[in-house]
Amino acid sequence: MRHLFLIYGSLVAAAALGQSAAGQGKASAAAKETPAATRARAATSWTHPKTPWGDPDVQGTWTSDDCIGTPLNRPANLGDRLYYTEQELAQRQANLEKQQQNDLVETVAPNARVSTGSPGHWGERARRPCKQTSLVIDPPNGRVPDMLPEAKLRPIPEGAGNNNPKADSWEDFSYYIRCISRGVPGSIFPVIYGNGQQIVQGKGFVTILQEMVHEARVIPMDGRPHASPYIRSYMGDPRGHWEGNTLVVETTNFLGNRTGIVGNGGGTPTSDAMKLTERFTRTSPNEMRYEITIDDPKTYASSFKVGFPLTQEPGYQNFEYACHEGNYAMFDSLSGARAQEKKAAAKAAGAK
Amino acid sequence: MRKIVVVLTAGVLLLAAAPAWAHHAFAAEFDADKPIKFKGTVTKMEWINPHAWIHIDVTGEDGKVTPWMIEAAAPNALLRRGWTKNSLLKGTEILVEGYQAKDGANRGNGSIITFTDGKKLFVGSSAGDPGAAPGTTAK
Repeated sequence: MRHLFLIYGSLVAAAALGQSAAGQGKASAAAKETPAATRARAATSWTHPKTPWGDPDVQGTWTSDDCIGTPLNRPANLGDRLYYTEQELAQRQANLEKQQQNDLVETVAPNARVSTGSPGHWGERARRPCKQTSLVIDPPNGRVPDMLPEAKLRPIPEGAGNNNPKADSWEDFSYYIRCISRGVPGSIFPVIYGNGQQIVQGKGFVTILQEMVHEARVIPMDGRPHASPYIRSYMGDPRGHWEGNTLVVETTNFLGNRTGIVGNGGGTPTSDAMKLTERFTRTSPNEMRYEITIDDPKTYASSFKVGFPLTQEPGYQNFEYACHEGNYAMFDSLSGARAQEKKAAAKAAGAK
Repeated sequence: MRKIVVVLTAGVLLLAAAPAWAHHAFAAEFDADKPIKFKGTVTKMEWINPHAWIHIDVTGEDGKVTPWMIEAAAPNALLRRGWTKNSLLKGTEILVEGYQAKDGANRGNGSIITFTDGKKLFVGSSAGDPGAAPGTTAK
C-alpha cells in the first residue's frame, strides 16, 4: 500500500517541477529543464486543437487545485497587486516543495494538532504555487465589492460561513451540506478537495461535469434564447458561444437565496437577478484560464470578476460522488444540536 | 495493547477554528469536550460519499469490545492518492486520535490516524489539523 503513496508523491513532485503533460513520457529530458523553459516550449509548439466538427476543443478533466488556499479577497496590505513577485513565487514554490516532502514523511509530525476540524489528511494539494494574491481579479483592489444593505439581511445557512452551527432542521443547513448544490461559482472555485471539472463536447453542446455534489451543466451552443424567466434553478440556465478559441458561457434564471460565492457556495446567498459570464480559454495542452464575471444587482454594489488557472494533471480523473449515500454529517449535526440543548437544559435545571 | 488509552482530557487542548470549506459543519458534529485516543482493529471500510468511514473494534481494559466509526477523506481524494479497496484490510490495527460525535455516539473525526508502528495511515498528506495552504507559511 505504501508504494502507492510513494507513486502518488512522485507524481505530485514531478508536476511541481513543471512536468506538465507536455513532458509526459519524456521525464528524463524534462527534468533537465527549468519550469519556465518547459512552459515556454509547450507554448511555442502548440496549436489549439479542434473537434471533428470544427469547434475549439477544450475537453478534458481540469482542476483548480493549484489555487487551493488562495483567498477570494486580497489582503488589504497588498493593495492593487494581483500577482506575486518572482521572489515571492520562488519562496512559495519552496514552501510547496517543503510541504510535499513533509507529506511523504511516514510518521506524524510532533507538532501535529488534534482538533474537531477537518483533518489534514483529507485535503488535496496544489502542484505549483498560485501566482495570484487573490481570486478576485477585478476591481483592481482584488476584493468583492460592497454588499447591499438588503443582501446583508439574508440569513446564511448553517455550515456555509456563519460558524454558529445549531440547527433545528436539515433545512437550516447549506445546500452544500445537504448535498443539493454548490451553485455555479461554488462548484469551480478551488476548495480543499474535489476540484475536478470534466468538460465534454458534442456538436451544439458543451457539458461540464463537476465532481463534488456531481453537477452536470449542459450548455447549449446553438444560439437559442434563455428559458422563460419563470423557469429557474440552482445552477441557472446557461448559453454558450465561442469567441475565437474562448468558450463563453452566460448563465441566468437562477433561483435566488440558495448559494453564495464563497467556496462550496458558502457565504451570503446571491439573488435571482444574478447573471454570470464565464470565459474558458485554453492556453496550452494542460492549462486553461478561467474567468467569471459576477453581476448581481440585488446583492453587490457593482459587478466583479474572479479568475484562476485550471490544469490537467497526470492521472487526475473525476470519480463518483453520490453525496447523499452516506451523509452522516447531517445526522450527527442534528443529533449533536439536540444533545447540546439537553446539556444546556440540564445545566439550567441544576443551577436552579 | 488493545485498550482505550485516553478517553477524556477535556479542556486541555487548544482548538483551531474549523474551516468552512469541508463538507461539514464540524463544530456541529464533533464535541471539543470529548477527545478520543485509542487503538482499534479494522472491521471494514465504507467507501461512501461524501466521506469514507473506517469501522474499528476497540477493546477496553475490561475486555469489552466497542465498535467505533472514524471519518476519513472523500473516496475521490483517497483514490487520487492511490488508495484502493485493498489499502486498509480487515484486521489491521490502527491508532486514532480525534474527537467524538456530540450526541455521544461512537463516531469520531480522526484527526490523526496511524498504524501501530506510528506510521501515518494517509501518507501523502499531513496529519492533524490542515496544514498551511499551499505556497504559504503556517501561521
